[in-house]
Amino acid sequence: MDHEATCELLELAALEPGGLDRLMAGDTVAAQAVAGHLAGCPSCSDELARLSIASTFIRADLRELPAPELRDRTLATVRAMGVSRGQLPSSDASTPTVVVGGPSGRPRLGWIATIAAAIALSVVATSLVVGQRSEDQVATQAGTMAVLEDVIQATVAITSRSDVQRVSLVGTTDSTLEGSVAFSPSSTQLIVVATGLKTPPAGQEYRFWVQINGARKRVEKMVVGPNLAYWVGPSSAISRVSERAAFGVSLVDINRQGAATDPVLIGGL
Amino acid sequence: MVRGPQGQIDDAILVQELVRGSETALEALYDRHAAGVFAQAYRLTSDRGIAEEVVQDAFLRLWNRAESFDPSKGSLAAWLYAVAHNRSIDRLRAARRRPDLVAPGFAAGSGADSAEATDRLGSGGIVVGGAAPTPGPEEAATAAARSDAIRTALAALPDVERTVILLAYQAELSQVEIAERLGWPLGTVKTRTRRALLRLREALGAEYMPGGEFEAVPASAGVDR
Repeated sequence: MDHEATCELLELAALEPGGLDRLMAGDTVAAQAVAGHLAGCPSCSDELARLSIASTFIRADLRELPAPELRDRTLATVRAMGVSRGQLPSSDASTPTVVVGGPSGRPRLGWIATIAAAIALSVVATSLVVGQRSEDQVATQAGTMAVLEDVIQATVAITSRSDVQRVSLVGTTDSTLEGSVAFSPSSTQLIVVATGLKTPPAGQEYRFWVQINGARKRVEKMVVGPNLAYWVGPSSAISRVSERAAFGVSLVDINRQGAATDPVLIGGL
Repeated sequence: MVRGPQGQIDDAILVQELVRGSETALEALYDRHAAGVFAQAYRLTSDRGIAEEVVQDAFLRLWNRAESFDPSKGSLAAWLYAVAHNRSIDRLRAARRRPDLVAPGFAAGSGADSAEATDRLGSGGIVVGGAAPTPGPEEAATAAARSDAIRTALAALPDVERTVILLAYQAELSQVEIAERLGWPLGTVKTRTRRALLRLREALGAEYMPGGEFEAVPASAGVDR
């Protein structure tokens, strides 16, 4: 193996995490050839030392830089979840802006605010618990907040899609219940959130469903938290949604199939 | 319009614009401070995913609570770094992880002393005692200059080279993975990453590297395949 081939292997190894260490371990034919060359070549050994130091500096420095695409993600997050302010124009006319009031006519920020309110409740709860110095409870609350934030991230991802559709859910017997659904038929991604649902009785659970042409299809069990019930994920049923589709949440016995009980929350396109 | 030493619009003015709903002001503040916020969060968590979430949290908080920023009480950078610190700890708690050991100098940032930083870290539950010692002023200055040199060289790279070097060193993708992600031939990826590495090494030069100078990158270094 000559200088040029050795240097190329060293440089390529330096570009991968632990690459130089693996190459120096000498457990491949190429690595053994490099080791053989380095043993008799002081200049390439020096090059290895310099390369190792340089790649360490460069890797450490680049790891502390945010990825370029984080800028767009951050600005989109603020547009979707930020408080409404008097809008001044963006510097970039091509940058999409949040349209307050989507195809369904419901303010886009309104239902995201529902989630934000739930997070605010968790923050308050966390503050109270911190005052009592209960580390386990703090961790539990922090975990709840993290889940809620994950829900928000999913919300932002779905609502940023061009084919997003939204549905408001209202309580059928309890006016304090409300919820929202957002979904993207092309991606089949869906999120449903609801506030006001109490913890279901033992042996029962809340299930979210979609009804198309009179046929009700169970989507999934709702996760019920202290301030928010939700479900997020893909659902093939969403790809077939028509204008006459209905959406709802029903309380169902755990051992029972489907979701064919009277809804506690309902809405339609 | 109040401008800073480099002719930049003052942060406080941009925050006022932000209160009025200016996305342009938000973009300018992001461009000015996001790297620092990200670095702060990354040093505390050693997790790029968490650090990215912290950046989003910090700028969302800035947008939502811009009125609460009082320039007479401190700089916007300090305000954002405090948010980043707190959110990093929250995220680590949520993940039930201990924060990484942090030397006081890292947490202090410019303009704060180590004792103050230690107090803040202690109140946040950060372990300081076992951390590596803070570099001295000369070492810190050298590290900062070295970092500037790398970042300047990175900004000057052709887009294709910057893309592959960031995928290699930030995303820690292998050459094969980069080729798959970008849909480029593996040979092209190897050529471009090697060339980018050579240019960054050249930027480090003898000044920031023990052991001598590097040769300048020849214009013909590597040929795209």
